[in-house]
Amino acid sequence: MGKTSKDKRDIYYRLAKEEGWRARSAFKLLQINEEHNIFNGVLRAVDLCAAPGSWSQVLTKKLRQNAENDDDVKIVAVDLQAMAALPGVKQIQGDITKISTANEIIKEFEGLKADLVVCDGAPDVTGLHDIDEYVQSQLLLAALNITTHVLKNGGVFVAKIFRGKDVTLVYSQLKLFFEFVTVSKPRSSRNSSIEAFVICQNYSPPPGYVPTMINPLLDHKYCDFNQLTGPNRFIVPFIACGDLSAYDSDTSYPLLLEGQSSYEYKEPVQGPIDPPYKDVLEKTKSMQINNS
Amino acid sequence: MSTLIRTDVTSVKLCKDIILAGIGSFLCTFYTKNSKPIQKIQALNGQKIRGLIPSKCLTKLLIFGGKQFTIFNEIESIFKSQIDAVVYDDWIHTAIWLSENKVALLSAHNVVTTWDITTTKLLQQHINKDNSILYSGLLQPLQHDILVFSGTVYSQVILQWFGDEQPLHYLKGHKGVIFSISCNLQRGIIVTTSDDRSVKIWSVTSVHSDYNIKTYWQNAHIDCVHDLYGHLARVMRNTLTNLYIISVGEDSAICFWDYNGNLLKKTISHKNSCIWSLDADESNLVTGGGDCGIMMHPLSSVTYNSHGEVINTSVTPKKVLFTARNNIVITTVGNVLNYYNSNLNKIQEIRLNHTSTYQLVGLSSCKQLIAVVDMDGNLDIFMENCKGDPGLKKIIETRLHLGKILSMQWAGNRHLVFCSEGGVITVGASKGNTIEIIANYLLPPCKERWLTASALHDTKDTLIVGDRCGHIHLYEWRRQQPAYTMKRVHGRYGPTSIDIRNDIVRTTGRDGTVRYLKIINSGFKYMSCKDLEFEWVEKFLDVQGKYVCGFRERSLVVYDVENDLKVVDVSCGGGHRSWDVVRYIENNGGCYEECLRLMFVKNTQVYVNTFRLRDIVSTVILPGTHSKEINCLRTYRRRNDDPVTWFITGGEDTTLRVSTSEQEAEFWDRVIFRHLSNVRALKLLSVSHDEVLVVSAGGRAQICIRTIGFVDKNVTAEELIDYQIKGTDRERRGNQNWRNCSVDFDPETRIMDVEVDELNEAKVMIYTACSDGEVRVFEWNRRGGQFTMIQEVRHHKTCILKLKMFTCSNKKIITTCGTRGDVAFWEVSSEDGTLAEGPALVLRTNESGINSVDIKVTGGCQFVLATGGDDNAVHMSLVRLGGDGGWAAVTSHAYLNAHCSQVTGLALVEGLCVTTGVDQRVTSVSWRLEGEDIKTEFIDQMYSDVSDIHGMDVVRDSGDRLTVCVYGKGIQVIELLKP
Repeated sequence: MGKTSKDKRDIYYRLAKEEGWRARSAFKLLQINEEHNIFNGVLRAVDLCAAPGSWSQVLTKKLRQNAENDDDVKIVAVDLQAMAALPGVKQIQGDITKISTANEIIKEFEGLKADLVVCDGAPDVTGLHDIDEYVQSQLLLAALNITTHVLKNGGVFVAKIFRGKDVTLVYSQLKLFFEFVTVSKPRSSRNSSIEAFVICQNYSPPPGYVPTMINPLLDHKYCDFNQLTGPNRFIVPFIACGDLSAYDSDTSYPLLLEGQSSYEYKEPVQGPIDPPYKDVLEKTKSMQINNS
Repeated sequence: MSTLIRTDVTSVKLCKDIILAGIGSFLCTFYTKNSKPIQKIQALNGQKIRGLIPSKCLTKLLIFGGKQFTIFNEIESIFKSQIDAVVYDDWIHTAIWLSENKVALLSAHNVVTTWDITTTKLLQQHINKDNSILYSGLLQPLQHDILVFSGTVYSQVILQWFGDEQPLHYLKGHKGVIFSISCNLQRGIIVTTSDDRSVKIWSVTSVHSDYNIKTYWQNAHIDCVHDLYGHLARVMRNTLTNLYIISVGEDSAICFWDYNGNLLKKTISHKNSCIWSLDADESNLVTGGGDCGIMMHPLSSVTYNSHGEVINTSVTPKKVLFTARNNIVITTVGNVLNYYNSNLNKIQEIRLNHTSTYQLVGLSSCKQLIAVVDMDGNLDIFMENCKGDPGLKKIIETRLHLGKILSMQWAGNRHLVFCSEGGVITVGASKGNTIEIIANYLLPPCKERWLTASALHDTKDTLIVGDRCGHIHLYEWRRQQPAYTMKRVHGRYGPTSIDIRNDIVRTTGRDGTVRYLKIINSGFKYMSCKDLEFEWVEKFLDVQGKYVCGFRERSLVVYDVENDLKVVDVSCGGGHRSWDVVRYIENNGGCYEECLRLMFVKNTQVYVNTFRLRDIVSTVILPGTHSKEINCLRTYRRRNDDPVTWFITGGEDTTLRVSTSEQEAEFWDRVIFRHLSNVRALKLLSVSHDEVLVVSAGGRAQICIRTIGFVDKNVTAEELIDYQIKGTDRERRGNQNWRNCSVDFDPETRIMDVEVDELNEAKVMIYTACSDGEVRVFEWNRRGGQFTMIQEVRHHKTCILKLKMFTCSNKKIITTCGTRGDVAFWEVSSEDGTLAEGPALVLRTNESGINSVDIKVTGGCQFVLATGGDDNAVHMSLVRLGGDGGWAAVTSHAYLNAHCSQVTGLALVEGLCVTTGVDQRVTSVSWRLEGEDIKTEFIDQMYSDVSDIHGMDVVRDSGDRLTVCVYGKGIQVIELLKP
């Protein structure tokens, strides 16, 4: 397989490299904003599960348009893993289930709360859909939990969600905290992918709700208004986002795109840092492990 | 109601003489001794079974999965539900019995709970301090307490005394998520496996001796003593027996380790899919995989020392052969044939009166006759006696005048095929004590002009031979020149063996394949090909064609073709030495045992290994199927009342399979074909009631056409077309390697959907929806075999996801659906099958990509279109075509609450619209037309255990029932009641 075949197979992978984004997911946030205007007036934003940092890149670029002075824009990126530095983004290497991380974010905003919290985190998938969906929903609820500590009333929360068999449980949970919950799929997200994004607007926690990190938020159970099977399931509106004329992530494009006269192969912007299999590759370099 | 379910086997348990398995939410049981299924019963509701824990007295079974658990009772091998499934708040990772009425659970937020199962009341709950998500856990019951092991996402295992605030130990060392934890406290051993591909053995040492008390653990040292690498991917599970640590992983590997960390054996099972579950007792290991299969592996195979021996002979062996009675014929450099009596370890020397030292030896197919010929034509034939003391008797001694003899093969038990200088082929038959020449043929010139294999048809009038150029020739009775030649069938070495059975020719070769040809009208028809996992395939060991032997690098391999299992692998040094393999049945005091005996020459000694298959061969408890998602499926039944349903499936694992199902256990892949990349779409065209054309297409722009015939429960296959729109790799870039070839600017193309239509007797049209937005039309001339693209039309600017053909008002119409939610209708010319220049009507129904479509013609010139998409919605439109008003969408209707995720399957029948999607629900909605308005009403919804559902096919539509099959990561057949 030649090195250009990846460029051919996935238009957004290629565009991300050409436009300097660390990952193709940058386009997803841009397209979500096109539809939902989530960056309107936002000065303080939190990027949860930020590595490798493409969403932080988008936030930096877009939020600076909201302020006259770049220093008025504050972006905090939180991740367990180390991430290559980005100018204008404060990095916190921490756990989103810890109160200390929430406090650190607030400190960074000088006591103020965030206007926008985004989370594009996903677990390493195991291949069994139910547990992958469960872990993803727990990650989302952990993100929601820290969001209840750091988001201002009326603020916006955007997170990746796996639309699997129990997604209605997550919807009904989110609906408790936000007035508007919609699910959206950017054109840059593949049709075959289970991922979508929830756009939660107008943060308004239930009266008397006290944010706590002592217990994790557990997802809902099926009940009368949200059944396992039946007509009463909690389904939120779906909105596709991204311009109809935008590139389509499922389409095969030629290397020479319309309006282009030349093509040049570009290396990825940021390679992986410290994958879990790194050690094994090191240690087994001299060994021969064969599947025969 | 579900009638058939196949999906990931997420738990297995060996319990007395029964194998328990969790397949989706169903508990399935089998007898260990004969693999017979006993029972299939739904245990959980909307969750996969992850654990099956028998109680101490084995009469109760705790079943858990996801956020549910339940209890079943066992009476005489039959399980019955004792309580309704209990829904808990959190994902359950592990569970144990504390007493006959009390269980404990460990869940994903590191919470331990205990429950009274008679009242289903929560008794105790303890939330551990580190409550980030766990990926695995272990509850170890002690005399009065519970030891809790939690495998975290942060690569560590936390050890905690149940009820304590502070953990006892943190086991650090893994570099990834912990997937499984086991322990053996008597040995003081903990074993963990992880995302980082390693298995770690931890040793527990303490100044105290009783591990039931807390001070033992408070004062314990836990160190990683072995860091083991044997897997090529994530290691999912492990289990411990008295002798072994067994680990299974995503790489389909089962590794058997001893407690000192030595890798004793590694085997590959479940056909390249992840192994999700395992359990072992002291004699067997059971595994459940992502291929939906269950296998049982005898533990005796781990250290099975085949009965290996070195035959003590004073001779220097050249060639060795097994005879019918398992004795050995050994040729040497001298003018002597040695017959080795295996029982008495004695050699009978037989002098030969040969004049040339070059010697060819051959064994008849009954293995009783041994022919030895020298270059000058001195031929001796010996026979091994059937009864009494084994011995060889010379039955024929003659001299053939054929010139220099270059090759000799037996064709059956009576005929010998010689090839001598100048490509002269001579067929001789034994007659009395001499050989009668019955036919002569001429081998076309080639570099090394002799035969590698030959076979004679039962009727004797057809001879089939293979030569050193890899060609296969068919000769008809007494016609010198070949009647038919098939070129380069097995690469440059030529076929290694040829068999004929009922007009089917089976050849093996050194290109890693077995090929099947059919003899018809003085020629062959290429039927199909089977790829094996080793390069050098030498021959079949049995008439049925189950076992095949050959070489993988330096190992002699015996492979079970029927079950796709490697049987034996013996390191011998490679295939260029002299060797032989025999399969036989041994009568062991009335008990018949299938055995294999392998022999090879190494350092001038003869090594013999004997294997009793029962001790080494894994058993299929439930046959597996696709190792990844099924992308497309069509069912076929020969007649409406035929109990057998055929499933033709194409998958992400690049295979196309034909399987049958009568009863559950009989769902079995009958044939497997390979594509270059994933198979995304397939359609059938009925040829006769027991023969269909299967058109499959997918990645790398590949289209394949095969004829599949159904005979009883067997399948015949003929591969007709294998075509790539952009040409094969070689056609595209010549002989250059990828480094040197220039960048190809054309887009890669995947075929997303396909439709097939019979234009007339000769012509079949193939319509394809491509990922670059084009609809490509192909014409296949069935008589001449030409396959040509005749049209490329474009309307959609983006990838086309679905393509469907239907007839309305005597017009053939093609519908295409794209990723933008747009639907286009194209009129098809009845003359040449091409599409009109542009679509007749374009609609935009869904918000984004359309993943399912169906059409129901409701009247003369109007039809209802139903589409389901990535926007969770089902849209229905009433469309009118032609006439004076032209094409028009009359009315439309949508319902948004049927699914909460992508709608990937849709069937529109009279009055009923059934949909399915990634949310694993199957929804039935009734529909009707009131005037021009479409009205729908929710009827029913059910949950399917198949995840990642890719689509649905109607199996049967009869009377009050609609039977559908949903497919994705597995398949499920569901019967729905019509309104």
